[in-house]
Parts: sequence; structure tokens; C-alpha cells
Amino acid sequence: MSRTRRRIPLARLAWRNAQRNTRRTLLTVSAITVAVAALTFAQSYVTGILGNFLDTYARTETGHIRIRADGYTERERFMPLHMNVKGLSDLLPAIRGNPGVVEAIPRIRTAVLVDGAGSNRPGMLLGIDLEREEGYLNPSEMLLEGRIPRAGHPEVMVGSELAEKLGVSVGDTVILLGQTAYRSMGGARLEVTALSEMGMAYFDATFLVAPLDQVQQMTYLDDASTEILLFTSRPESADSLARAIATDLALANGQELEVVSWKDQAQMFRVLDAVKPIFGFILGLLLLMAGLIIVNTMLMTIMERTQEFGMQAALGMRRRDIVVLIVAEGIAIGVIGAIAGSALGSAVGIWLEATGIDITAATRGINIPFQGNIYPDWQLSYALIAAVAGVITAGLAALYPAWRAIRNTPAEALRA
Amino acid sequence: MRRTRPHHDTSAVLGAILIGLLLTPVGTVATAQEISPRDILERVDANMTVRTARTKAQMTITYRDGDVRNMLYEAWAEGTDRSFLEFTAPARDAGSRFLRRGDAMWIFLPRVGKSVRIQGHMLRQGIMGSDFSYGDASENPSMVEDYDATIESEVDLAGRPTYVLYLTAKRDDLSYQHRRIWIDSERWIPLKEELFAKSGKLLKTATFGDVRQVGRRWYPFAIEMNNELQTDTRTTLQILEMDFNVNVPQEVFTVSYLESGF
Repeated sequence: MSRTRRRIPLARLAWRNAQRNTRRTLLTVSAITVAVAALTFAQSYVTGILGNFLDTYARTETGHIRIRADGYTERERFMPLHMNVKGLSDLLPAIRGNPGVVEAIPRIRTAVLVDGAGSNRPGMLLGIDLEREEGYLNPSEMLLEGRIPRAGHPEVMVGSELAEKLGVSVGDTVILLGQTAYRSMGGARLEVTALSEMGMAYFDATFLVAPLDQVQQMTYLDDASTEILLFTSRPESADSLARAIATDLALANGQELEVVSWKDQAQMFRVLDAVKPIFGFILGLLLLMAGLIIVNTMLMTIMERTQEFGMQAALGMRRRDIVVLIVAEGIAIGVIGAIAGSALGSAVGIWLEATGIDITAATRGINIPFQGNIYPDWQLSYALIAAVAGVITAGLAALYPAWRAIRNTPAEALRA
Repeated sequence: MRRTRPHHDTSAVLGAILIGLLLTPVGTVATAQEISPRDILERVDANMTVRTARTKAQMTITYRDGDVRNMLYEAWAEGTDRSFLEFTAPARDAGSRFLRRGDAMWIFLPRVGKSVRIQGHMLRQGIMGSDFSYGDASENPSMVEDYDATIESEVDLAGRPTYVLYLTAKRDDLSYQHRRIWIDSERWIPLKEELFAKSGKLLKTATFGDVRQVGRRWYPFAIEMNNELQTDTRTTLQILEMDFNVNVPQEVFTVSYLESGF
């Protein structure tokens, strides 16, 4: 076995072989193209969904850090107003003074009975600082009709679906009955100045948004709220900021408070962690299918060339070289498909990242924090990962046909 | 006399408040040996039902964290179908009024300045943040008509001889599908009651105390309610004054009166 034999130009040979039956090769290439394109896009899409989830969840529910009275989380389902954060006028400037904090917003969240046009429905009342919430809860973006309620006025913005069920519209009056900080019954009569649509089904069907001061009066939460949401420019390091804030507050403030990073409010993350393997499984199936197509088409090729392989073997080509030749052919096909596929997937991903995918209709009736549009988040690494996965799949898929090709002795192959 | 459904749905403290604790001048103390569950319930119903009454009472809610809320109210009631109630203290709650007519219920808060009718499925919802549902307050089933009863045992409870009755609802729409009631077998009043969900889960426990003789029959002037699910509250209702068979002006049970007050 001299070394000269190793100089068979396997790559060139493989490339030439791939061109023999162009139509069949194109079929194989297209299988890889579709799989790689799907893989590229799916990663962008899933990242977009998760980003939407986390962003929406942070802005509407948790902030990057949420401060509430100690023990509130444990009793959250009762929404106890007597467990509140007091002394906002001192607390908020102090928190905003922390350089890591971009914004600190007080909110009152309380369950109410909403009476309008003679019918009642359960509702969720949010008392918010309407100006500071721009960019967070985004009242002006939620505005569907009318005008945003003004601080200091008995006004309210009602979720579009809730308004429809109650039979009220802009200009009507609703009465809210709920709990107070003293655990007694409180109420307010507010003018509906706006209808809101957030694209989040549960929000639109239950939520009312009113000026913080109005809700404070109704609930007897003077200079207090049920929560303060903090937003930071570096959400990924919210944990350490939360610890720092907790220490500051413990020193400066007599209250027992919970200061919790959004990463510790694990509910949503658990959901996401459960979803990820499912996506992985689906993408794996996609690659498997592409691989099977390659196995299939290459088997055909190998069958046709049985005599040829016999000849090559008889002329002294080693089995290993034949295997390498066939796998190289698969990889060549894979490379073409991977380039085409990642380009296609990236194009679709980048295009939809700009335009967004409106899934409002699909999320109606789903009780998850999710806003109407998904913006896929395309990244170069997704295209590269998908391309590499495509090439590897093609190479692996060629192994079986290669094994079939060398199974016979040269004599058997020649006789075939 | 208008038809009075037997009351003593004391399961709901709020119900008791709204109904204003009703008595009827019926009341012969029976001591029959062979007694059916139905006889027992009829006697209790008769004992606990009133034509009209005016009540002043104190409601105390004690929370697990040690917080205590005291409230005073005055109430009018006629039969079991109409009642009117107004909180008088503390100042924060003063002027909050409730009107019940049959299954319909209205709430008036001075801050709101307009009454709200609580209706439909909302009656089944908890009054936001509290232990009591509006249904507790307005649902007023007849124990004789709406429940099948069996006598489970005869035991002594706090020194009193009692029949222990187990009730199973005949209708699906009642808040409590099962009830176990300890009934004083000499005075024909309930001394204790356990209220269960359809699943058999214990929802609330009521204990009756401060039993006083009024005319010829007995009546509990205090009720303590424990919400077994939301374990941080205990509510006590203590009747301070009670006038029976008074003349109740009919306009008391109207929405316009609810919005203008005593």
C-alpha cells in the first residue's frame, strides 16, 4: 500500500459524481435547503417569541425588579391591598437615584367588580402613573379609541373586550367596587375616556387602567401602592441590582419589602424551559426527514453505480476510499443545500423581523402575556448553526449508502 | 303574613347580616321521642324565622396577622325576602348600604353615590378580596325544601344535647352541597354548622353562641364563622339590639331609599 494511492482526488471526484444526475442531485439539495432554511428561520422565530414573552411579561407584570410588601407573593392570589409599599414620595426618588435604575414605577393592582350599563363583570384595575408608564405599560400604544385618562380626574381606560361585554363605550360611566387597604369595601365612579387594545386576550377582557391617584383614593392607599416596578438598562444583571436595592432599602426604610428580580419570578421561565425541548424535537425531526431523503436518493445512485464501484475496487481503490468518496458526495450536496437554505431562511427571517407577524387572532382567548406581533430575531449564528447541521446531516445520511456500496466483493459487484 | 322561607342560612355571615336575623313568634318547645329529620328542620326554621325585625349588631373580622376590624351596622328585615342594612361605624365604612329583595341585591357606597345591582354569575363570585360571596348574602335556601336530611347521631355539644343532621342538596345551584348541623334538641336552634362543597371539602364552619331566651323561645345572639379555605379570617357577629315585629316602612326596601338612606 503505497502513499501514492491516497492521492485520489476524492473531493473533485465527488463533485463530478454529484453532477451526473442533475435532477436527482437538485432534489437532494432541495431537501437540505428546505431543512436548513426552516432551521434558520425557526431559531429566529422562537427567539422572537421568547423575546416577546419576556419583554411583555416584564413590562406588564414583573418589571426587571419588582418591589412589594414582604409576604405578598405568598398571598398573591388574594391580592391583599393591606400588604402594600408605603411612603412612595420618599421611596421612589431614592430608588431612581440608583444609577442602575432607568425607571421606577408604582402600580396598584386590585380586583374589582365592574358595573356598567347595568351589568357586572369581574375586572382587574391597574392604577398607574400614566406619564411614566410610556415605554413600559405603554398606555398610549394601547389606546384604541378616545383619550388617555388624566391624572387627578375620575377617568378610566377600559379593555376593549371588557367594554364590549359590559356594553359601555367612551363617554359612559362605570362603577368599580373593590377592596381597600383597610380590607373594607371601596368604590369609585369613573368616566370611560378610552378603550384599550393590547392584543393580549386576558388583558383586553379584564383590565381597566386608571390614574394612580384615583385608585389610591378608592383603595385608601395614600402615598402607597401594591408594587413598584424597576427597569434597568441591563436586564440580564437584574439579580445583582435587586440585591443592592434590597440592601439600600433595608437601611433606609423601616418596611419589610420583597425585592425580586424578574429572573427569580420563575413562572414564565419555567414555561419557556418546558417549551424549548419541544422546538428542539421538531427541528430534529425536520433534519431527520431531510436525511432520509438523502439516504433514499443516494441509495439509488449507489445501486446504479454498483458495477462502477466493483471496477474501482478491482483496480485497487480501497473500501475506505469508496466510503470517503460517497460521503464527500453527500457533503458536497449538503454544502450547496446549506448555503441555499441558510440564505433563504435568513432572508425570510430578516424580512419578517422588519414587518412582524400578526398573531393577534391566534392569541385571542389565550391567557398568556403576549402582544399581537411576533418579530423574529434573526442572528448570523442561527444561519451558521443550521448550515453546519445541514452539512453534518447530509454527510451522516451518506454513510449508509456508502456501506451498501462496499458490502459486495469486487467480483460480486462486477457481476451485478 | 307573606310567605316566609325558613331562614337560618347562617352559613353566610353576610347573609345573616342582610337578613337581619329573623324571628317569628311561633315556638312551642317540642320534646317528641320519635322525630324525623324533617320535623327537626321545620322546628328550627320556625324558631329562627321572623316577620319583621330591626337589628343593631357588631361584626368583627379577625385576621391571621392579628389585624382586627370592627364594624357596626343597623338592619331592617321583613320575612326572609327583604332586608336593608347600613354600616354606621367606623367612619370609613359609615353609610355603606346593602339592599336585598329576593335574589336581587344592591350595594350603595357614599363615595360612589349610586347603587350597583349585583347580579347573575357575579353573585357566585367572592365579594372582591373577602371571604363572602354575594351569593352567600342573597341565596337563602329552605333547608326543608332544598335539602335531604338524615340524623347522624345525638351528641352533647358544649353541655347541650344535640341532633347532628347531615344535609344533602337537592339542587346543583346551591353554594353548599352538603351541610352538617348540630341542633339543640330542646331549644331547636343550631349550635354549630359545617358547610361543604360538592367534593366533600369543608368550606366554612359556623358556631352559634350567646343563646338567649326571647319570649318563649331561644335565639343565638352571636355567630362565629371560620372560613376553612382562606384560613386567615374569622368573623364574629354579635347582635347588640334586636326589636321584633316592628313596623317597617315599605320604602326601606327600595333602591331610591338605598341611595338616600335613613
